[in-house]
Amino acid sequence: MTRHSSLPDAELVRACRAGDAEAWNELVERYSRYVYAIAVRGFRLSDDDAEDVFQDVFTKIYLRLDTLRDDSALRPWIAQLTRRRCLDAISSKGRETPAEEEALTGEESADLADVEEAFEVREALSGLSENCQDILDRFFAQDQSYRTIAEELEIPSGTIASRIARCLGRLKDALESKP
Amino acid sequence: MVARCSAGWESAPGVSAQASAISDRAVALAQTDGRAWDAALLALRDAEAGAGADARRDFALERKLEAAAAAPLEIASLGADVAALAAAAIDNCEATYRADASAAASLAAGGSAAAAHLVRVNLGMRTDDPRLAHALASEQAAREVAERLGEPTR
Repeated sequence: MTRHSSLPDAELVRACRAGDAEAWNELVERYSRYVYAIAVRGFRLSDDDAEDVFQDVFTKIYLRLDTLRDDSALRPWIAQLTRRRCLDAISSKGRETPAEEEALTGEESADLADVEEAFEVREALSGLSENCQDILDRFFAQDQSYRTIAEELEIPSGTIASRIARCLGRLKDALESKP
Repeated sequence: MVARCSAGWESAPGVSAQASAISDRAVALAQTDGRAWDAALLALRDAEAGAGADARRDFALERKLEAAAAAPLEIASLGADVAALAAAAIDNCEATYRADASAAASLAAGGSAAAAHLVRVNLGMRTDDPRLAHALASEQAAREVAERLGEPTR
């Protein structure tokens, strides 16, 4: 974790504009999976095409960050750049550039919504305490048992379920308080 | 269900989410278990049909049986988790559903015991295997919670 990892997007953007190399690394780290997920899960691009999209999107972000009007709107801006670039990738395969709603099947559109939701959850998670982030990650992402969590974190096994429930409550509050 | 039906309990959604996650894992593990056991059964039949000693065949059989013990080992552990979740629920849920939480713990203890038994059988004679110890510890943990929650004083 770097000193930038806890920065909100708006502050990260300002640090990037000021030429802070670490901030750029954090921006790429924070959004690389997001861009890739939109390309692969949302638009079903091949790995090679997704890689091209990835490179182009981050080049555009680097070159055009000054044109972003609202620094806190970084994610929707990146999503828009990525979607447009994905549509270009589809049209370069011999079709006219389709409108986004034409390019996506219902399933792909749902996957794109899942990507958005997953990212919102991830953002909300990053605002929780490290203890909460850790225990939720262990249970829901790593599928660890209560016993394993208790042993590794050295906390009583009987309290794990309640701790996870409390952390989920905080996560829900964080998601609901988003504008 | 116990958590979902306990409207006044603040942590109910969090407990319900954990129950859903455990349920999803259990379904996936049951399918994995079935596939692993099918593969082990084929290897067992091969071994029975073969004549004389064959180190390679015996090694393959052992690997398949070990793989067939992996899913029950996790299922035994899930049983302990379900019992622990029931214990977290029983003191906070609506009184009407306490018996359901206790019943869930009993079922989980039964599932954990059955899974631990499969681990024991699939690992054969290796009673000092840490995986068996792990499965038995899960079985014991689930059973203890189920017994505690099922006490008539509750």
